[in-house]
Amino acid sequence: MTDLLSVTVSGLLLAGLYATMSYGLTMIYGVMKIINLSQAGTFMLAAYVAFTLFTYLGLDPMLSLVIIVPAFFLFGMLLQRLFVSRVPLANTPTLPSLLLLFGIWLVLQNLAYMIWTGDDRSILTSYTYSTINFLGLQLSFTRVMVFLIGLLALFALQAFLTRTYTGKAIRALTQNRPACMLVGIDVDRIAMLAFGIGVAFDALAGTLMSLLYAFTPAFGNTFMLKAFVIIVLGGLQNYYGVAIGALVLALVESWAVMFMPASLQPAIAYTLLVIVLVLMPRGITGLLEGRRTV
Amino acid sequence: MLELKELEVAYGEVQAIWGIDLEVPEGKIITLVGSNGAGKSTTLRTISGLLTPMRGSITFLGEEIGGKKPHEIVARGIAHIPEARQLWPDMTVYENLELGAYSNHARAHRDKTIQWVFELFPRLAERRHQKAGTLSGGEQQMCAIGRGLMARPRLLMLDEPSLGLAPMLVEDVFRIVREINSEGVTILLVEQNIVNALSTADWAYVMETGKIIMEGPGRELLDDPHIRGAYLGV
Repeated sequence: MTDLLSVTVSGLLLAGLYATMSYGLTMIYGVMKIINLSQAGTFMLAAYVAFTLFTYLGLDPMLSLVIIVPAFFLFGMLLQRLFVSRVPLANTPTLPSLLLLFGIWLVLQNLAYMIWTGDDRSILTSYTYSTINFLGLQLSFTRVMVFLIGLLALFALQAFLTRTYTGKAIRALTQNRPACMLVGIDVDRIAMLAFGIGVAFDALAGTLMSLLYAFTPAFGNTFMLKAFVIIVLGGLQNYYGVAIGALVLALVESWAVMFMPASLQPAIAYTLLVIVLVLMPRGITGLLEGRRTV
Repeated sequence: MLELKELEVAYGEVQAIWGIDLEVPEGKIITLVGSNGAGKSTTLRTISGLLTPMRGSITFLGEEIGGKKPHEIVARGIAHIPEARQLWPDMTVYENLELGAYSNHARAHRDKTIQWVFELFPRLAERRHQKAGTLSGGEQQMCAIGRGLMARPRLLMLDEPSLGLAPMLVEDVFRIVREINSEGVTILLVEQNIVNALSTADWAYVMETGKIIMEGPGRELLDDPHIRGAYLGV
């Protein structure tokens, strides 16, 4: 019983990270209908930047977020302006957009090999091994903090998307692009902002991951694939759906440990992906939604 | 107020508009009628900047606007209510209206304009917190018109506002168009419902295969033998 409880709690904590790493993908997909294949590169690069700031300046990764997140926001906008905005838009991801973003990922990866070499890196803080006691469970302090920071970021994103004009324009652009142009939204500017925010979220997730996992320049692809599974579960561009998708994947993965070898864990995400694509192609939220017109 | 001169437009290789001249004087209701595929929607889409003219000019209040971006054109006071509503289905009625006032000049007057829209369409006020995708067809059309008005346009262009509505609602739409016009908004109306459009408009243009073939006061065109034969089936 304690086992089930502790596994469930660690699943919930993991869901926070999973949601954080998926929001960037879903925002960029929603606004531009492209799959950001360079996402893993951002996870990795943010982890290395956090590592460098920690090693050379002694800056705690959680504190370095105040530098990393804005820096990657600018980096994301630059990537969009310089490269992504040149790919013709379509209603579904096109081959040129996939190749471009895959290419950006390769460039980032090789840049990291040049700067940081291929050695395994990890960040060891004073609290890496601390635990806190919660309802009789020993929880990793780092994991709890990662969860809380992720949650905070999600609330901030939610408030931004529902309360500000720019946030609403991002949601509107996800739902109907021509209508946005006709009410006077500068759609190119919004696309650039959305890409920046997406990359900033990826960098946030990457920094949090650097506290939990060891990394090399090849780091990030399993997480990107999981993020992809999560947004498919969530219906691709529905923010609530993504939160649910993250929760489902994290819990299923955590529970599975109880009755199958941990080495098979990576297979769970893909099995889930196949099941979803076959049985509910519009994702979990697609099942919950009624019929609607427009 | 708005003037098109020898305008030609193409979708890629396919030319859709073959040199049209059209004038919309301030304060009037002008209609552009014709059958499906005549180029009416293309004309509106070019005025609002969704398409770029191949040749010819579009001037609004004395300024050339052909080829400008849609948001620049909205900011100058032209709102385009597209065919088939094009609402944001997962956003509330209120959010749809709010975003209608996206440009700077409209945003400053947002709360006042929204009051006016709710007076014109009390139904929207009742349903303000409902998602636009759950509205009925007639309500969606009201929401689309309301959203267009939120931009505080000087020229409002409507593309087939009566399409797919029950006959009673069609009358409503034309009444609303006249009401909006009486508040000082110039109207350019594209319609397939020719009888209603011609009897509402001060001046009408008839389009066929990308050209304007006839123009005149709306009510006079209603009696024209060609119009009666080709569009009214009498």
